[in-house]
Amino acid sequence: MNNVILSLENVTMQFGGVVALNDVSFEIRKQEILGLIGPNGAGKTTVFNVITGVYQLTKGDILFQGESIQGDKRYRITNKGIARTFQNIRLWGDMTALENVVTATDTHKKSGLLSGLFGLPVSRKEEKRDKVRAQEILDFIGIGEYADRLAKNLPYGVQRRLEIARALGTNPKLLLLDEPAAGFNPAEKVELAETIRKIRDAGYTVLLIEHDMSLVMGVSDRVVVIDFGQKIADDLPAKVQNDKRVVEAYLGVPDDAS
Amino acid sequence: MFNLRDWGADLWDRSNKFTRILISVSAIGVAASLPFLGGTFLNTPVAEYESVLVFPIAIFVIMALGLNIVIGKSGLLDLGYVAFFAIGAYTMGLLGTKTNLNSWEILPIGIAMAMFAGLILGVPALRLRGDYLAIITLGFGEIVRITALNLNAIGGANGIVGIPTPPTIFGLEYTFDNHRLYYWTFLIIILLTIWMIRRLSVRRGGRAWESIRQDEDAAELMGVPTFRYKIWAFVLGASVGGAAGVLYASKTLFISPDNFTLQVSILILACVIFGGMGNIWGVILGAVILGYLPDRIRFLSDARLLVFGIVLVLMMNLRPDGVLPRKKREKVLPKKDLK
Repeated sequence: MNNVILSLENVTMQFGGVVALNDVSFEIRKQEILGLIGPNGAGKTTVFNVITGVYQLTKGDILFQGESIQGDKRYRITNKGIARTFQNIRLWGDMTALENVVTATDTHKKSGLLSGLFGLPVSRKEEKRDKVRAQEILDFIGIGEYADRLAKNLPYGVQRRLEIARALGTNPKLLLLDEPAAGFNPAEKVELAETIRKIRDAGYTVLLIEHDMSLVMGVSDRVVVIDFGQKIADDLPAKVQNDKRVVEAYLGVPDDAS
Repeated sequence: MFNLRDWGADLWDRSNKFTRILISVSAIGVAASLPFLGGTFLNTPVAEYESVLVFPIAIFVIMALGLNIVIGKSGLLDLGYVAFFAIGAYTMGLLGTKTNLNSWEILPIGIAMAMFAGLILGVPALRLRGDYLAIITLGFGEIVRITALNLNAIGGANGIVGIPTPPTIFGLEYTFDNHRLYYWTFLIIILLTIWMIRRLSVRRGGRAWESIRQDEDAAELMGVPTFRYKIWAFVLGASVGGAAGVLYASKTLFISPDNFTLQVSILILACVIFGGMGNIWGVILGAVILGYLPDRIRFLSDARLLVFGIVLVLMMNLRPDGVLPRKKREKVLPKKDLK
């Protein structure tokens, strides 16, 4: 399988006695939208945290483009091409929208701090290039008009979108979206679904955590379901919806079934 | 309500290159003419006015600018900043008395020593955050002072006496009471520091520091090598502190461990917070006020520190973000590059 971009191999994550992820394996293919769902506390955000290096695995391995990223520093993982958004918005509030995105381009800069200090041409060129690119990303996500506004003063929906724009600023190959539609009304969710498809069509791969079933099922190419830290399904959206274990995980097991 | 910070920033934004140069030149002119205002209401009743301008005011401004890189820009609470000041001063004291190097030659060495100390402290300390970092830096400040106190090779409790004045340049002689010349020299260092901070603020480094200050985890996950940038902040802050130390030693000509107590760290920190963390103009104003005020109200004798304290408490209640807070206006990045 040459088109696999990220694979989790028997990933186990323990916090003391609590097993947050138990022997989870799945893979993400290039340019697909993979939905990751599960009931509250199933371990979805933990998956994001192990992929982005926030937690060190207890067991297992994570391969990104065939290379293990287990144990890499967090900014190195981002540099290699994995970027994420946060479930609870964590923008840099005292910076403008544009600055938020420009700051995220830091990882691919070549000119150092000192060449910036002395205003060397290499630094100036990069500054200009990154500002232009940041504005392009904002336009692409549809919030270009807010470029000069401070992030903390932006409407909630724009902040959520800015989180995505900032992640794109790192020029990732794989984009992890952690509940991007939280707090959105149905119309905004439809717009977001379009944006996510647009991102995929632009060549990015997307791993999406979302609670809104119609959004996940509508936008995902494939869905992985986890429950109590274990993978219980990995299939096309239509099939997952009818999977017995998935239905049980969400609705519970009838008392007389056992 | 009139807002000095926004008024100044707007004026600057609206100005073209020519007006900007005009504003800068006149501001520097005002700063440079301060020593001539000794006869006015600014005069300090007991201490010599021109000498107060050099120390504490100019030295405080330099140190507060340096500490502002660490605390105001990057959000790293450093309670041992005096250590870098001490290292700069002791470098000047030792090399000045034991070798033939003059102050200008020692200045870069002192800066390098302070930067090196910043690196040595930063590598272990900057793995910690917040309160823990504050405690480690507090300890570092004390370690440096107590080492100086107990190390007889560098004078012990007696300190170092007979530090030479800077050599004559352009026919200008640095005699002990030529305060104006010292003041102007220090002003040049202040301007250089301002230039450095302003340059860094609008570029890669400044943005990275800003992101670290606001949310360090988010910064690292967005690909900002936070540890490296924190080290940079520490080292650059230390370099400014070291420069202040070298200048201080070649002005007072006598240093002892008593000059480098925790109180100095706290006072410089107060300058930064009082003036407005993160805003260099605020920080400068804070350092000028806190350097100047104790000497201006010296006629109160024993009640002086009480009044000083009351002023601090009142100010922090009325303006918790400082006299001139960091700018929170929109449109920070110049848009001209996009066209």
